[in-house]
Amino acid sequence: MNDSLLLTTLLFFPLIGGLLLIPFLGRPVLARQIALAVGTVELLLASFCWLSATAPPPAGAPAGFFLFSSRDWIPDFGVRLILGMDGISLLLVILTALVTLVAMLVSWRSITKRVALHYLLLLVMETGIIGVFLSLDLFLFYLFWEVMLIPMFFLIGIWGHGRNIYSAVKFFLFTLAGSLLMLLAIIGIYLLHGDQTGCYSFALNELVKTTLPYSTSLWLYSAFLLAFAVKFPLLPLHTWLPDAHTDAPTAGSVILAGLLLKTGAYGLIRFGYPLFPEAARACGPLLMTLAVVGILYASWVAYAQTDMKRLIAYSSIAHMGFVALGIAVWRPVALSGALLQMVNHGLTTTALFALVGMLDERAHSREIAVFGGLWGKIPRFSFFLLFFAMASAGMPGLNNFVGEFLILAGSFRITPLSACLAFLGIILPLVYTVRFLQEVLFQTERQPLLLADINWREGGFLGLLALADIYLGLHPEPLLAMVRLPVALLIGVVP
Amino acid sequence: MNLNELWTLLPLLILACGALVVLLLGAVEPGRHTTWTGVVCCCGAALWAVQTPPLVSVSFGMSDTPLVRSFILFFCLLAAAVLIVSLEYNEQRGIHGEEYPATILFVTFGMVAMAGATNLLVLFLGLETMTFGFYILVAIDLKRGTASEAGLKYLLLGAVSTGFLAFGLALLYFTSGTLESAALLKQCSGEPLAVLGWGFVLIGIAFKLSLVPAHFWTPDIYQGAPAPVVAFLSGGSKCATILFAVTLLSTIGNYSALRTPLLALALLSMILGNLAALLQKSIRRMLAYSSIAQMGYVALALLAGGAGGFKAALFYAFTYALMSLTAFGAIAVFERSGITDQLEDYRGGGCKEPFAAAVLALSMFALAGIPPTAGFTGKFMIFAAALRSGETAAAVIGILTAAASAYYYLRVVVNLYMLKPEKAGRIEISLAEKLVLSTAAILLVIFGLFPMLLDL
Repeated sequence: MNDSLLLTTLLFFPLIGGLLLIPFLGRPVLARQIALAVGTVELLLASFCWLSATAPPPAGAPAGFFLFSSRDWIPDFGVRLILGMDGISLLLVILTALVTLVAMLVSWRSITKRVALHYLLLLVMETGIIGVFLSLDLFLFYLFWEVMLIPMFFLIGIWGHGRNIYSAVKFFLFTLAGSLLMLLAIIGIYLLHGDQTGCYSFALNELVKTTLPYSTSLWLYSAFLLAFAVKFPLLPLHTWLPDAHTDAPTAGSVILAGLLLKTGAYGLIRFGYPLFPEAARACGPLLMTLAVVGILYASWVAYAQTDMKRLIAYSSIAHMGFVALGIAVWRPVALSGALLQMVNHGLTTTALFALVGMLDERAHSREIAVFGGLWGKIPRFSFFLLFFAMASAGMPGLNNFVGEFLILAGSFRITPLSACLAFLGIILPLVYTVRFLQEVLFQTERQPLLLADINWREGGFLGLLALADIYLGLHPEPLLAMVRLPVALLIGVVP
Repeated sequence: MNLNELWTLLPLLILACGALVVLLLGAVEPGRHTTWTGVVCCCGAALWAVQTPPLVSVSFGMSDTPLVRSFILFFCLLAAAVLIVSLEYNEQRGIHGEEYPATILFVTFGMVAMAGATNLLVLFLGLETMTFGFYILVAIDLKRGTASEAGLKYLLLGAVSTGFLAFGLALLYFTSGTLESAALLKQCSGEPLAVLGWGFVLIGIAFKLSLVPAHFWTPDIYQGAPAPVVAFLSGGSKCATILFAVTLLSTIGNYSALRTPLLALALLSMILGNLAALLQKSIRRMLAYSSIAQMGYVALALLAGGAGGFKAALFYAFTYALMSLTAFGAIAVFERSGITDQLEDYRGGGCKEPFAAAVLALSMFALAGIPPTAGFTGKFMIFAAALRSGETAAAVIGILTAAASAYYYLRVVVNLYMLKPEKAGRIEISLAEKLVLSTAAILLVIFGLFPMLLDL
């Protein structure tokens, strides 16, 4: 298949599928089935790209990209429709397709009002996120970056619970405020590059050639960093996350934690460092400090949570802190670890949010204090909860351990202090996870609850995620091999 | 007068004669068909703009460049859209009579004259014809006190601003001795009296664009006037004024003496407009303050003129007109169900009236500058121009106010989709209304993704 066609289809297929749902807005069952079919095809399509990874790079593609397409879009501004896929994008695109599919299955029964609209938004968001992971033109990237926000805003606001409107608006404003300054920085580098070369373009591989005075690049980089740090989220900017995660419907939490947080890290890797290498390195220590403080603070706060979703939300902040540390070190081992950790965290947190969502659907509560002794009542559910909670806490043999280990091993040489402190961040999750599991699964029953164990639909995707966790924990090599070349090219060391 | 000149003037003739025909028709046989006659006249004038090849000939102080053509086309189509949206609204409000469509045609006549004018006198006459028509339109809903209040306010403040504008033009004429804009503007850029004249003209423009501190009329007019009239006033009259400002400023070339006042107008409008909009409980007043802020962005573009700012301002003029049409068109539909302009009355609008709610939500996202709407692309062009011309501080302040503005636009969306309705009630939407509003909404997205289609 032709590259350009494959990438365009991969990008717009969910959007078209979503728009096809419009005639079915009054027919929930059919809409749900169509959406699931679109999501499955998209996952197959994304996996199909894996086969292209060994193909020779196409003509005109930047090094490391095995799929590439570039077309004119808005010639007046020099905006081009440049899409490209390298190992990093491939992993994240497959993760996106998988997590979206899980999000659809999770909301199969729990969404009862405006069903078709819900699935439509999920599909539109899938296009937005995949667009972020595939764009190699900054204008296009920014477009998708903003487009992702709208469906999530509606997901939280319409189907959420608790203070959902407050959380939806807070989420939207935090991210928008961060990214608007990035828009100015994008225009800034576009103009500087155009003035220098006479060719006005938003293409990443053109813009990296710009020579910037140090102070200018520091300003522009801080605008980018702000936008990405909000998404990450890094410590002082994290306050939207617990609210948004807690009040979102299960599918919303799954996509927020599994995918949206990754876009910040991805943006930093793909755009932040290559565009402003000096400024990014200068800000490295700041990023490391924020990451380590974030890991410790979030783990500490997670311990005090009584709401399960909030607990997982804070543990997400801690895990993303590891990713930030791995990126800030900017060495091959740590960066590969950070990328692996992004995928791992996506898989595990998706499963955990899905599990809490199922419990909420059955018992209409997410308070830890309500549950107890679940192991005896719903053993299959309890097995998966134990499994994914231990994976998330970094149990050796499961996936998160590998990512965290690589990040620590890679960063120890550069910043021993950060690495040592972050090491505590591996232990602390054990504390709150064990307490959480012990209260929910093993204590005596605190309230008489009639709970049904998980069914085939739920068990199916949980089993799939669990297998992926084990596989990545025991044999992460295929993923590491996939990112080896792009990581080496990004950092500038010859593989 | 030869045939070529007649061609140039044809849209004006169609609109003026059309207005008279509508008035006569109303005297003989009043009814809805007077409005449809108006729509046909507008479409006829629009067709002229598409059909005939552009002529370079200049006569009667009118020119006919491709840019003028596209604006004429746009004004005529906007007027047709406003007439169609008004049909059901006016019927429900009890605004009968042929004077409504006739006045809309006269206003369009004024806008078209303004668009083509090369002579300051013609320009002034066009502007006044337009404004005069709006004095009537704003107060046309005689049964409502708020409309009369709005009309009086607009008339008094408008008269003052006309005085400023006329005096400014007189000073410019005094210093240069000509009224031909191109010749006049090249001659007198440095003289103190000319600068004073420019200052007065700028005050007049600021009033028409409702820039702070000449914005006091805006909230009351937006709240009191009939919704389709507000759409026309907000879209058409501001669009025409932006064209006026761009024509004047682009011919002088170097207008550094105006930099400070323009910068002040832009900053004040962006900051105060957005802050005041945050506090509003009425959707119409909120949109009025939002329009003040949006015009602040346009003033920023005018300030950055040579660096692509004029193009950005014209693009934003088109876009803003579309956003006004969709927003107030949807409001007109909602108000037919008997709700007030309070934001809480829009609760659950997404269930009650999915079509109008979707159009309103889209225009809110466009006003907030969220991609893929034209509102984003327009803001992008404005900020790119501002940065290119070195106005970095103004651009940063502008973008921060834009981030804050998202809050009040989102509030409308929240009310429409995320809160439960208090009282149910369905609204019948006619096919023509649906067609007009959905075309405008689709154009908002298309111009956002393919701005090159608007060849300015």
